[in-house]
Amino acid sequence: MLSKSQAKIFFLGGTGVFTAAFLALTFDTHRKVPAQTRQANITPAVDRGKHIWEDNNCMGCHTLFGEGAYYAPELTKAVERRGKPWLKMFLKDPEAMFPNDRKMVNYHFNDAQIEDVIAFLEWCGNVDLNGFPAKPPLAEKMKATSAAPVVTTKPVPAIFDMMACRGCHSLGGQGGMAGAALGAPPLDDVYKRKNKAELAAWISDPAKVKPDTKMPKIPLTPAQLEEIVTFLSSLGN
Amino acid sequence: MKFASQKVAYWFFASAMLLFVLQLVYGFIMGFAHVGLDVLHQWIPFNTARAVHTNLLVFWLLLGFMGAAYFIIPEEADQELWSPKLAYIQLIAFLAVGVTALAGYHFNVWEGRKFLEIPRPLDYLVVIDVLAFLLNIGMTMLKGKRHTTTSMVLYMGLLFAGLLYLPGMIYFDNQTMDSFYRWWVVHLWVEGVWELIMGGILCYLLIKLTGVDREVVEKWLYIIVGLTFLSGILGTGHHYYYIGAPRYWLIVGGIFSALEPLAFLGMAIYALAMAKKGGRKHPNKIALTWSLGCSIMACVGAGFLGIAHTIPQVNMYTHGTLVTAMHGHLAFWGAYAMIVLAIMAYAMPLLTGRKLWDSPVATWAFWTSNIGMSFMTGAFAVAGITQVNLERRMGFDFLAVQHEIEMHFIGLLLAASLFTIGILLFIWNFIRHGLPTDEALGADIESSPAEARS
Repeated sequence: MLSKSQAKIFFLGGTGVFTAAFLALTFDTHRKVPAQTRQANITPAVDRGKHIWEDNNCMGCHTLFGEGAYYAPELTKAVERRGKPWLKMFLKDPEAMFPNDRKMVNYHFNDAQIEDVIAFLEWCGNVDLNGFPAKPPLAEKMKATSAAPVVTTKPVPAIFDMMACRGCHSLGGQGGMAGAALGAPPLDDVYKRKNKAELAAWISDPAKVKPDTKMPKIPLTPAQLEEIVTFLSSLGN
Repeated sequence: MKFASQKVAYWFFASAMLLFVLQLVYGFIMGFAHVGLDVLHQWIPFNTARAVHTNLLVFWLLLGFMGAAYFIIPEEADQELWSPKLAYIQLIAFLAVGVTALAGYHFNVWEGRKFLEIPRPLDYLVVIDVLAFLLNIGMTMLKGKRHTTTSMVLYMGLLFAGLLYLPGMIYFDNQTMDSFYRWWVVHLWVEGVWELIMGGILCYLLIKLTGVDREVVEKWLYIIVGLTFLSGILGTGHHYYYIGAPRYWLIVGGIFSALEPLAFLGMAIYALAMAKKGGRKHPNKIALTWSLGCSIMACVGAGFLGIAHTIPQVNMYTHGTLVTAMHGHLAFWGAYAMIVLAIMAYAMPLLTGRKLWDSPVATWAFWTSNIGMSFMTGAFAVAGITQVNLERRMGFDFLAVQHEIEMHFIGLLLAASLFTIGILLFIWNFIRHGLPTDEALGADIESSPAEARS
């Protein structure tokens, strides 16, 4: 049977060998990370964004690269998922975008700070994370089994992307990732459910029509509201 | 107890218990927020509660480790503590720094890096404080008449815990490298040097409680901590899978993480085997129960639930979900919280001269807290697995999935209430012991089981 001194040698020897291996791999990681993370793209804005990220402990609710807390969404691909217009609007007043839902602190960022945060998240989204986050493997299968939705082929006006409508709703076969499960319906056939006046009343202040709605009140000028309502109603013709 | 200076340990234990209760309060704040009851959001938003909850854990565990060292080392070295005065100063300073940091989290003052949120200037104070602690313990060992393996392993654990705090203080503008070195602290602490501390304390308790020959217990201690480092150092790789580090970490991390449960399994078998082998009937059975319970819960929480999601193919979907919280809760409870409670259960009667080890309160505390924590782990598991399937595998939106799993957080809150009752019972028993007294010096209360019932 093993003696105590042999056991000691096992402990010290093993620790020595594996520490050396770990340090060697760390050295190699230092050499490879700049290319894998596109380090050259770390602009001053990205660095400022990282400081904002840390100074406000964003990791205390969100995950980034899958690391952090599990109270708020994973943000590695936030720019790709939501688009910059949506993120800008959201960061101005987070609670307004998710009424009656989980809250995020409003940090009262100015426009430059919002640009920096988005620059940081955009850089993060372009880091090669060995395939993380994986595309949901069952999503395609689910799509294949559900009935084909009505999809308009009419060109969608720019106002819809400016106001990030397709962050929640799908329209013309695009968007709707975030909103589908929250009950945000596709807009292609909304004309069947609401006439022009109803649409206008709903969009201008959703909570007035349905107090517990999850749809935010989007700041629109009367002309913009008119443009959206006219387009959506025209889809039935 | 043998030396008057061991009384220092009491104040570390008492502070640790106070902070533990506070940790539970912040845990409840988060649990309620998860079911939509976030009434404190304006004053204590989730990220504050989260940072306070995890930092308090680290904080009270470190206080527990320090208390354990102040209790164990004088006896192992057969020498009064080098400077009890320094120990008290170091305790007060540590508490002051910690409480300042925690208060700061309520005013958006932090570093925002998971587990290492303490602002930089306070980092330096922590380092100085830990150095004072290491000096105190180190000098006691140097002057000591006896140099045991147990005390060496414990000291090495504490020393490297101090050293490994430093890499976390390097700034990188690259998030990947930032994260890379953050894990040098966090992983190499909890799956490396903290296990030395745990192993050292467990070894001491087994020698005292089972009466098995020191040489045998310490030989196996070497094997166990050897296994820990053999798997744990390269096991750090499981944190490097998906953060922008090279792909080979998937293989390295995957293989060595799979070996990590071996160390914990070894620890559990070791503790159980020693307890069975020991002929000595130590009257303090509840301390042995905590010691054995610790090794078993660590094996399940850190070992089994760890490997359940460090396999790279699984981790691709569980990474960054509540599955991590499931593993984290039982791992920290089993491996570290329980070892601190075990040494406290052993030390309190010796420090105060009061033999409350047969009290039903002590037994209820053990079972209620462990059953509560097991149910909490279950609630996190169900919530986590549902989140993985709906969000990561089917592609539903984050918030929609969170609403789907709210029910499991009600379960979590109920289990957490049970757990809290157990902890409060433990603390009630702790308070009933009263203060440490010199009258307990040299009193032989350990060798007479018949009297224990009086």
